[in-house]
Amino acid sequence: MDAIIETHGLTKRFNGFTAVDHVNFDVREGEIFGFLGPNGAGKSTTIRMLCTLTKPSEGTATIKGYDIVREAEQVRRIIGLVAEKLILYPYLTGAENLRFFGRLYGLRGRQLEERIEELLEMVLLTRFKDFPVGGYSSGMRQRLNIIRGLIHDPEILFLDEPTTMLDPQSVRFIRDLIKELKNRGKTIILTTHIMEEAEELSDRVGIIDHGKIIALDTPEDLKQRYGCSSLHEVFLELTGRTLRDHVSNSIPVRRTIGRV
Amino acid sequence: MPRSLEAALDIAYKDLHQFWRMKMLFVTFLLMPIVLMTLFGFMFPTVGTSNPYSGKIAAPYRHIQVGIVVEDGGGLAYSVADQFKQISSSMGLLDVREYASLGAAREEIVKGRLKGVVVIPYGFSEALASNRQAAITVTMDDTSAQLASTIYSEISMILGMISEGFSHSIIVKLDPSMDASFAVEPITVERKSLISGTTSTFEFLAPGFMALTMVMGTLSGLGAAIAREKEQGTMDGILVAPISSYAIIAGKVAAQTVRAMIQASIILGIAMIFFGVRIYGSPLLMLLVMILGVSSFIGIGIIATSMAAEQETAMTLLMLLQIPSMFICNIMFPIEQLPSWLQAVGRALPLYYAADGLRKVIVLNASLSQISPDLTILLIYSIVTLGIAIPIFRRSLTR
Repeated sequence: MDAIIETHGLTKRFNGFTAVDHVNFDVREGEIFGFLGPNGAGKSTTIRMLCTLTKPSEGTATIKGYDIVREAEQVRRIIGLVAEKLILYPYLTGAENLRFFGRLYGLRGRQLEERIEELLEMVLLTRFKDFPVGGYSSGMRQRLNIIRGLIHDPEILFLDEPTTMLDPQSVRFIRDLIKELKNRGKTIILTTHIMEEAEELSDRVGIIDHGKIIALDTPEDLKQRYGCSSLHEVFLELTGRTLRDHVSNSIPVRRTIGRV
Repeated sequence: MPRSLEAALDIAYKDLHQFWRMKMLFVTFLLMPIVLMTLFGFMFPTVGTSNPYSGKIAAPYRHIQVGIVVEDGGGLAYSVADQFKQISSSMGLLDVREYASLGAAREEIVKGRLKGVVVIPYGFSEALASNRQAAITVTMDDTSAQLASTIYSEISMILGMISEGFSHSIIVKLDPSMDASFAVEPITVERKSLISGTTSTFEFLAPGFMALTMVMGTLSGLGAAIAREKEQGTMDGILVAPISSYAIIAGKVAAQTVRAMIQASIILGIAMIFFGVRIYGSPLLMLLVMILGVSSFIGIGIIATSMAAEQETAMTLLMLLQIPSMFICNIMFPIEQLPSWLQAVGRALPLYYAADGLRKVIVLNASLSQISPDLTILLIYSIVTLGIAIPIFRRSLTR
């Protein structure tokens, strides 16, 4: 399989603190790539750089051959982002939210409306499309949030903790949806702290810590190599069992506003 | 239509649509100018001009309690007292009650029931009858100097009218061939307005408030609109779409401009319907001043929101600019009342020129060339502040 994302010494520094340190890895076309790491390890920053939301301090990355800095606009057309924070306007209805974001991608008229119907059906929200999103349950919001990221039918989907804080039914539904998206040929970069989820879904996982990739392989190979019975144990083996508490004197804007 | 323009319109529409759905915010937004105008309408009533709708003469204060003490027992003294009461009640300015002595009236002043007392002293009738000047004394409640001076001038105006009546009869008696009006007042003064019809404080206040609400509305509205999207995380959804960051700014600004125009129209509407303000100038020129006024401030709003990490910091920062602007930019009261250094500060702020331009167009029917100094300054402000703001905003998005 061909690499669809390649990073070359990708680095990001904030006020002297190196969040991402010369990272090199690639994501293959059509795979689910589990991107794991403790809090503050640099995953969110890496993903923000790949999504063109943050400019690298050094190094670069290409997505389907497009440079994330110089060809940001082409990159944006082929990626979809489902961030940890919901990208939805609570006062607008489900359909209105999808329509707004669809229009930003240049979709119009029948084509847009058909796309909205198709996506709503896929996550069983057709019935609720004309209600304000503020009234949705968490599970419904997240399902809508995911299809919002798919509105322009991107080839690559970034999913940041898509199942955190959801009930088991919603979690099951979303994991099945992720598999279904892979079957339809999407490349998925999945960030999660739930190791079982990463193990179940990922074709390969990359573990990042202190801004560096410390492991990258299939879950099976990682378990074998480190003699662990689960990815969970591999993760703790590699990143240690101590807490990662870290403070800085100045609060970067991004931290008060949220991650990815 | 170019993609960026389309995206800007989509964002503007989305912002307004969302705003429309936030019912509570929307209602408050409409109430703001209504409350502002109604409140100031009663605080600063029109002085000395008749309201074209009610026909009544408006006065700064109405039905103020004033006492009169007639110490002199003569017929002329009672005649003057009666005339004073009659004129006062017909004008509705003063409510006059008679007291037996200055002491009794003074006590009422101390108790706060009277604002002043007019005393016609002993010897008043006799002095007039023997062709000598007669004196009337007026004592005011001096605890409120501003009120006292206004009421004093009302009282002395009424007494002046009575005195003129005496002059007339004296002159007629002396020389029947003489024009008594000429002898009493050889020179008359007539005030002629630059515009036809009556003017009131609202010709000053309404355009000022239009400029003020537009500026305050856009500053806080824009700050909130950008900061909310950043805090909620929805900004990332817009940024990750293939649109230019200029389209984001343009869309946000367009939505805020529409909101500002709605508020300004409410103010103008109230001023026209209830306070007799008329638009003498071109509405198109008015719109131009409004748009330039908003754009001269937008940049400052963007800079504040880009620098602040959260909404509240941005709001507080902007408040620091808005509150002084309100008082020193010739909005609520004439800038001439301020010390000269403060006047200079006021004249350095764009709000001054937005209000000035609006006043000249609305009240004085100024032409484009006549308000070009105002427009030029607003334009320079717009270019400079936006020139600084846009790069800062763009950088803040992808930091």
